Amino acid sequence: MLDIDKLTLGFGGTPVLSEARLTLSRGQKLLVCGAAGSGKTSLLSVAAGLIPRLVTVPELSGTVTLDGQPLGSIDRQALFRRIGFIGQNLEDQLWDLSVEDIIAFPLENRGMAKAEIRARLKMLIDGFGLSALSGRRVLTLSGGERRLVAVAAALASGPDLLVMDEPTTGLDPAARRRLCSILDQAAQDVPSLLIADQDAVSLLPVVDRLALLHDGQLCAPQPPARCLENHAAWEEAGLLSPMRRRRLAPAGAIGRPLLAVSALITQLTRSVGDPVLNAVTFEIRTGEVVALIGRNGAGKTTLFKAMLGLTKAARGTITLDGAAADRWTVAARARKLAYVPQNMRHILFNMSAIGEVIFAITAATAHSNDPEVVAKARAALARYDLGHLEEANPFSLSVRQQALLGLACADAAGALVAIIDEPLLARDLRGRQLLERFIAAMRETGRAVMLISHDLELVDDLASRLMLLDEGRIAYDGPTDEGWRSQAFAKLGWSAPYASVPEETA
Amino acid sequence: MIWLHDLNFFVKLALAFAVMVTAWLAPGWQAGIAFALLCVLLLWLLRVPGVAGYSKGAALLTAMVMASWLLNLTLQGIPLAAALPVAAAMAARLVATTAAFFFVMETSTPGAILAASSAARLPPLVTLVLSLTFGVIPMLRADFERIADAQRARGMEIDDVGLPSRLRFALARGVPLLVQAIRMAHAISFSLSLYGYDLTRKRTTWRQVGLMVEPRLMMRNKADAK
Repeated sequence: MLDIDKLTLGFGGTPVLSEARLTLSRGQKLLVCGAAGSGKTSLLSVAAGLIPRLVTVPELSGTVTLDGQPLGSIDRQALFRRIGFIGQNLEDQLWDLSVEDIIAFPLENRGMAKAEIRARLKMLIDGFGLSALSGRRVLTLSGGERRLVAVAAALASGPDLLVMDEPTTGLDPAARRRLCSILDQAAQDVPSLLIADQDAVSLLPVVDRLALLHDGQLCAPQPPARCLENHAAWEEAGLLSPMRRRRLAPAGAIGRPLLAVSALITQLTRSVGDPVLNAVTFEIRTGEVVALIGRNGAGKTTLFKAMLGLTKAARGTITLDGAAADRWTVAARARKLAYVPQNMRHILFNMSAIGEVIFAITAATAHSNDPEVVAKARAALARYDLGHLEEANPFSLSVRQQALLGLACADAAGALVAIIDEPLLARDLRGRQLLERFIAAMRETGRAVMLISHDLELVDDLASRLMLLDEGRIAYDGPTDEGWRSQAFAKLGWSAPYASVPEETA
Repeated sequence: MIWLHDLNFFVKLALAFAVMVTAWLAPGWQAGIAFALLCVLLLWLLRVPGVAGYSKGAALLTAMVMASWLLNLTLQGIPLAAALPVAAAMAARLVATTAAFFFVMETSTPGAILAASSAARLPPLVTLVLSLTFGVIPMLRADFERIADAQRARGMEIDDVGLPSRLRFALARGVPLLVQAIRMAHAISFSLSLYGYDLTRKRTTWRQVGLMVEPRLMMRNKADAK
């Protein structure tokens, strides 16, 4: 069905893909795994016809055909009717429409009759369990909710091939299962599937072939079970092996409290009228790595916003480094709490990478004449592999580089607690190494890290303490290992990490 | 006043034009000012989103219009007592006009505008222009606020400072806002291509459109029962 032959693609310099080949037969469901920057997104963009139709690149050669017809010769409307695409960064393809508008958009654009659109819309909304989101503007939804809406929109017009880039991003384990179930149900309407993701295990139920991408080449697709056991192949591709042995998080010395949240209740309420956070109480001490987990929509984002003062508290207190911070401005709190979001674009606003780090240090300006500040900023960039990108515009960096810039800023800012929200760079070896370097630096300097993630293996690998947020309350707070056996965790219905592999000590 | 959001975009647009015409035809500066104040008061009574920000903008607009007209007329040799009513009338017209179109913008989502335009069988280009013209400004305003929150969340003190510093920080948001506007334009253009927006084919809509525009899918109605 889809045939890519001798594809070479580059953005200047060494090509990202070099004479890569991919053949996808009708009915085949292929998962491509590769480290960040290995060319997964570029490969998918070519397969979906986005490159060169909508995005031009400096270097491109090779042939791409769909059912024997070169992609370039297929009319644009016909091409995007036959191929559905969902990108990793949904903000690049969604705009301020409602849930129904987004799903119905391709059908309306093709002039389908109202009754047909409504019937299809109803089927998709019911099938995806999106009724509760009906009428909501899509940009107000959580990341996981947006992703399900985008999948529904891509399936609306019944494409022959669905191309998905990192579809599990932002989804909790239950939502990942729901996504798999949806894709499974849609298998009859959408014969072929091409997915790039670093979470191979979650997508096993919907793929029948797995291929690793490294050095610009795609390895021959294999049955997933065989590929998963091949630890060497994963490491060669720069990825953490999905079936690796468990490694217990290193224990460190715990010191004085840095952050204390007491009986916090937010003004923000859920649709039923309950506060999003209800009597939340916890402490974070020096040297701790605390993981915060919970369902999509449990209130994790609201919690860090409330700690920073971006969401108003109805009651409760926040103490930072022993001082009551309730009356502090957001900026004053932020100098103690550094936030590294999943999508760094949300907090970048300076015009160079070094400007961002200088801003993090000074909290006032992106330019400094103080040689000490500039040297500190340069050192932070170098520590996270960004030394050569000092003058690059932060918006032109890759998602991975932006995430590293976030770590560099948080490290250089000297904040007491760093809140890292779903660090996507943590699934490949180099990214994990840099994240661990950041965590070690924070611990060694008497600071602490709060890790918000749906990646339970990551949590298990790095966090010494687990907090579980459920229905606006901290349902569990204690050692990570015991957390997986707690009633609160059992209530989520998720599988504990490394459930089927033995452990080793770090 | 949720129902205002569901009122057909073209009805709101017609109302805005009527308000504008009335403001410009007002017989004298006293009537013009009274009408402008009434328009702003209505925005407050109808709890239009962002009305506090609009009011500040309207005050700034009034001051700038008054100052520029007074200067202009004085330079032409017109006495201040005669120039003042002219400047006030002009400011009143502009406040009433902006209030009317602010109301349309803040209560019309791009989706509702697309639906109303598609139901009216307007050419796709006109549909797109209307949706973007009236839909993008609230999106950019939301981005402006988001950038301010990002600055706060990165430790930049923009609240506990004097007005001159606040204004300077607000102006500094211009560059990231421009970057964001370009990204937004790219996202919209990408979305239009990906989801098959065709300038040669008239669109349809899933919504029931009449005097009101259906805000969410309601399947238990007569149209779907057929």
